[in-house]
Amino acid sequence: MSAARPPRVDTPLLHYAIPFPAEGNMAPPWRHCCRWTAGNIGVPSFINAVCGAVMMVARREGAVASLGVRGIAGTKATFANRPVNQPASRISNTLLRSNFRLLNTTQNVCCFKNLHSDAKVKDPFMLAQKDLKNLYDDIKKEMFVSKSELKALCEYYFDGKGKALRPMIVVLMARACNLHSNREGDLLPGQRSIAMISEMIHTASLVHDDVIDGSDKRRGKTTINEVWGEKKAILAGDFILSVASMALARIGDTTVVTVLSQVIEDLVRGEFMQLGSKENENERFKHYLEKTFKKTASLIANSCKAVSILVNPDPEVHEIAFQYGRNVGIAFQLVDDVLDFTSCANHLGKPSAADLRLGLATGPVLFACQQFPELHAMIMRRFSSHGDVERAWQYVMESDGVRQTNYLAQRYCQEAVRQISKLRPSAERQALIQLTELILTRDK
Amino acid sequence: MATMALLRSRVSSFGALCCGRRDISFFSNTSASNWSKVVSDAEKIVGYPTSFMSLRCLLSDELSNVAMHVRKLVGTKHPLLNTARGFVYDSKNSLQMRGLVVLLMSKAAGPSTAAADLLQQDMVSGIYPSQRNLAEITELIHTAFLVHRGIVNLKEWTTSDGPLKDMQFGNKMAVLSGDFLLANACTGLAQLNNTKVVELISSAIGDLVQGIYYENSSSAEGNSPSDDVTLASWEEQTFLSHGALLAKSCQAAMELAKHDKQAQGIAFQYGKHMSLGHKMNSDLQPFVKGSYGDPVSFSLNSAPVVLHRHVVGVESWVLQLQQATTLGRQVDYTKLWRTIKAGKGVTMATDLCRNHGNKALEAIRFFPPSEARSALENLASAVTKF
Repeated sequence: MSAARPPRVDTPLLHYAIPFPAEGNMAPPWRHCCRWTAGNIGVPSFINAVCGAVMMVARREGAVASLGVRGIAGTKATFANRPVNQPASRISNTLLRSNFRLLNTTQNVCCFKNLHSDAKVKDPFMLAQKDLKNLYDDIKKEMFVSKSELKALCEYYFDGKGKALRPMIVVLMARACNLHSNREGDLLPGQRSIAMISEMIHTASLVHDDVIDGSDKRRGKTTINEVWGEKKAILAGDFILSVASMALARIGDTTVVTVLSQVIEDLVRGEFMQLGSKENENERFKHYLEKTFKKTASLIANSCKAVSILVNPDPEVHEIAFQYGRNVGIAFQLVDDVLDFTSCANHLGKPSAADLRLGLATGPVLFACQQFPELHAMIMRRFSSHGDVERAWQYVMESDGVRQTNYLAQRYCQEAVRQISKLRPSAERQALIQLTELILTRDK
Repeated sequence: MATMALLRSRVSSFGALCCGRRDISFFSNTSASNWSKVVSDAEKIVGYPTSFMSLRCLLSDELSNVAMHVRKLVGTKHPLLNTARGFVYDSKNSLQMRGLVVLLMSKAAGPSTAAADLLQQDMVSGIYPSQRNLAEITELIHTAFLVHRGIVNLKEWTTSDGPLKDMQFGNKMAVLSGDFLLANACTGLAQLNNTKVVELISSAIGDLVQGIYYENSSSAEGNSPSDDVTLASWEEQTFLSHGALLAKSCQAAMELAKHDKQAQGIAFQYGKHMSLGHKMNSDLQPFVKGSYGDPVSFSLNSAPVVLHRHVVGVESWVLQLQQATTLGRQVDYTKLWRTIKAGKGVTMATDLCRNHGNKALEAIRFFPPSEARSALENLASAVTKF
């Protein structure tokens, strides 16, 4: 936090497709503090827009506080999976200066604490524990394979050493939805299956990603492709997916099948999106967020939606579950992208700046490009020239890219909290709120 | 019209890859013309061919993107190149045989009395729209694994084979395009709104993976000749890699029309024996056609070889293999070919092939006589002819 504040600057009207679900477009002129550097003043660029978008959310949070729990009125399209970028909202007179300290988590909480006081706060990990206890064993039981080597490959990452973040969110969401629907919190069998399926789809995609990226390390382990070769790794991924798909079918709900099949398509489309770079900077950021939704958030969002469908017929509840998952998922990935720059090699289980080495421009680089236009050319050639990775890393470190990405992640988390607060209070709901803080503060 | 123009440009981007003629005809020349006739007659019965979903995939941005990238592989040895060529040039070589069988089966079984909620007027040429979608999904899955089969193990790649970078890139494209096809199959399956069908076809994907996995491991290290492959285990593995998808798709087509368990069983049996017969037939090709002068190549895991091994026993086989191995540790396939031809393996495989063809014929006779049933019978008979 630099003590010296840059001068206040009013930026012109912005038209930008924002990454948040826009409920209304009557944003009143509203001033918000956002740290900005003098070099970029007056450039109506995506950062302005993003911060503007973020303001919208902040404003709506205020609205929630005064209105109490309200439905998402007028949103008829709740069944459809929403695209990441909602219709553009107009944000006027954005003042982009910010003091990040103001945006700490107590502020997160204050916007709904007057709605209801949740049950005693518990660690989300603890709360989900009893449902997750045998998760990996149960996943292994799903995979009947006669061939012992294939079995070993498929079980390789189900060793209980992963964070199991997705199953945890799914389990908590399921319980929160069950309680919201006047039932016991206990999981329905199908909900428990979805927790497993979410981890299986995630793992299958990791196995394929490692082949695509040529990675040799994952969670501190040598990757499957490195040990057994690419051919077998791909088959193992395909097999895990087929098992997940069978388990999904056995739940016996066609809507749930549709919702989770969408995830598989999103994962592939997200991977395809990573192949290209966009010349236009605004498009590039939009592209990045859309890719982030497809590659990371879609699985969480749609798994959350699926567990809500199994207990509650109300599309508004499905939308709440979906939106929580979507916002948390995007925030999670944004933080991940930051950690790729800030975490040291052995911490994350993979080398730092791995994304740059793969030619990928993530949030911190895209933000940094605003301050250092030199990055533009490097982004376009996917950091392929000699020394690009190091130079780009240096630029990012000298820029506000990391902080701005963290800030954006924070806003997504706030939106997630706003969404989940529409459910009836419960310990699980509180845990989901708390989870957003853990996502923001994690360092690995 | 715009679609066709677009298609043409997309196809030509694949076509640009084709620098050589590819000939993967499963059948010798005489039976090939017979087969083509059987297939084209059968296609007329089902109204229109199966390629619509494949067409949608081919027209998608993702695949056109791949096509553009795959061009870079021209001149390299990545297998994806051959697979991509196949998309364009092998359409006559029964690439879509599976989809066709599913359609014929759907039509042969007809509307079900139990299918009150299915509208008969939705049927086109006696086939429900969901069954058509299923036929396309079957093709998508088959194609996805053709692509995934072509992934290269980078550590086995030596620089004399070409730059490693090309192989990495080819793998990336192969993983992505295979995944893309599979993902489309998944969403297509979900749209069928029948979780039994989703489960059945997902299990077929699992079978396929296990079969291919076995194929890989037995063609690499597993070729240790001392392994005694039992006929039963060999047939089981061949069912996984070559029969499960068609058998289960045929069964699923019955489920979609709400036919009873018996009809589902018949369809499964036909699909299973039809594919096994088909596989036997193609395995036998190097042994039934051709004169001695042709260079021969065949898989040591193909039906005649496995049966030969089985008959002569492990010890003799190891000896025969040694005799056919030159000083440079290269297997002299012509020599081995003569040895195998002199034994009983080829005759046994031919008998087994006929046996599968007959079982397929027997199964399908439970359905009432119809044009579609005749076409299925013709296909099953064609598989037993050499």
